[in-house]
Amino acid sequence: MEHLNINVYLIVALIGGIVDLDSTAVIQCMISQPIVAAPLTGLILGSMLGDYAAGLQLGLMVGVILQLVWIEKLPLGMNVPPDAALASVLSVALGFCAGHNYSSYAEREVCYTVGLLISVGLGLLGRSLDMFVRRLNTNIDSWVNQKIEDNNFDSIRLGHLIGSFTTFTKAFIFCFLVIWFGVEPLKYFTKMMNIAQSGGFIVVQGLLPAVGFSVLASMCLKSKTEIIYFIGGIILFTLLPSKIWIGIIASFMVMLSYYSKTKNRKKGKK
Amino acid sequence: MTLSRWLLFKIAVRSFLLQASWNYRGMMSMGFLYSIAPGLDCIYDDKKARELAYMRHFEYFNTNPYFSSIVMGVTLALEEKYKSGDKLVNPEVIHNTKDALMTSLAGIGDGLFWDSWRPFVATLAIVFAAGNYKLTPFIFLVLYNIPHLYFRFAGIYWGYDEGMNVSKKLRQFMFPQIRQTLRMGTLALLAYLIPNHVNLHTPFLLANLRLELFYFGEKVVQGLGALVLVALGTIAYRQEVNVLLISFLLLIFALVFYHWGILI
Repeated sequence: MEHLNINVYLIVALIGGIVDLDSTAVIQCMISQPIVAAPLTGLILGSMLGDYAAGLQLGLMVGVILQLVWIEKLPLGMNVPPDAALASVLSVALGFCAGHNYSSYAEREVCYTVGLLISVGLGLLGRSLDMFVRRLNTNIDSWVNQKIEDNNFDSIRLGHLIGSFTTFTKAFIFCFLVIWFGVEPLKYFTKMMNIAQSGGFIVVQGLLPAVGFSVLASMCLKSKTEIIYFIGGIILFTLLPSKIWIGIIASFMVMLSYYSKTKNRKKGKK
Repeated sequence: MTLSRWLLFKIAVRSFLLQASWNYRGMMSMGFLYSIAPGLDCIYDDKKARELAYMRHFEYFNTNPYFSSIVMGVTLALEEKYKSGDKLVNPEVIHNTKDALMTSLAGIGDGLFWDSWRPFVATLAIVFAAGNYKLTPFIFLVLYNIPHLYFRFAGIYWGYDEGMNVSKKLRQFMFPQIRQTLRMGTLALLAYLIPNHVNLHTPFLLANLRLELFYFGEKVVQGLGALVLVALGTIAYRQEVNVLLISFLLLIFALVFYHWGILI
């Protein structure tokens, strides 16, 4: 089995650094969301390793699951949510780098699924690193405060921009180390499994979206009536054909009717 | 009104870096000052007055980043009034207005963007991703950023033009209704996703059903199986079971049922 080029590790680290900047420090246009970060990583790695379609498909699969798993964790005030951006990049990178050379579908899927499960833990570790960077920024804040008292106002710009540099560097080094040390053990783990065991991981991968759907349902369902309608909706969609446009039209109809109902209720109150 | 539209635009662009130095002491204090610095430089020609303004704004600041430009606009409008000698405006009024506005906009903005708009757009994107649409990330980015960029860039002008009356402008949006409507839309999309995109297959149907009934039977089993799994997962999550533990239990469940030949 071929060993990966150093450029691959550097590209993964670079993607990690950029998407992690977006998650809090800079812009926040949400390329850091798993549904964007994971397919982006898959597409770039896939292009580098000669199979962009497989990379993109893995990215979409990972993106769906990780997007849902931490959707309720919000960056409010002091709260630092798990680092979903780094988890997305690392999940795709670990899974794809370890699995792309396997000729058997089952072995590739084992790499993808185990990479995904490991990345959930890495997302939690990423949160601790994020908190470390914020503590570092607190020291920079105190330094700037001292400088301002000495009438040195240029330190504001410098101190502020150092903050984004520390965020990028943290993510870059973290991603580089995880990929550097993580790919070979994952390959070794996959080699140890026989085909019969590998099939089980394909079943796991198929069921994993249920965890994310549970988190989202838990976040959105507020009353018993909503739960009843929700279960009714699931049964209805089970019987209807599996077409995307049916889901989207149904959603917009629900929103339209709910919005007009609440608007009329508000007018009535006035 | 001494600040040009172009300068306000530049301040809105600088607000993209608001959280670059997020920290536990002043939170976004450096980011806020960094963003409005060109405005303060323009308002105060006198070096001493400018330095005092800088010191005034190097204080605790925390709000929703997308709504931050509104606070910046209002702050600069007040600073301008203070400079022109308006007796109703003094540093304490500026501080209190900024404080009240950032707190209320944090609540509105976080509720709208983090709690409602992001889950809705993400769920919509997941519908496309589950259908293996290659442009899914692009759809997510475009949809998500339309209101983000609208509030970011329009907000600075609203804040600067309306000053302390900006809340009237914001009230017209009916944010609570929008949030509830988005929640309903998210639930409808989720109801579509659950039976269609949890892959649960059993060999018994293939052995026991005629081919014309097999596909329907497969869909019913998948839909009801997914409903049961999601119901159990939701109950566990509401009982504060860690999501990592739920995933691990699902892994064990899937491997055991696969080993017994119940799931394939």
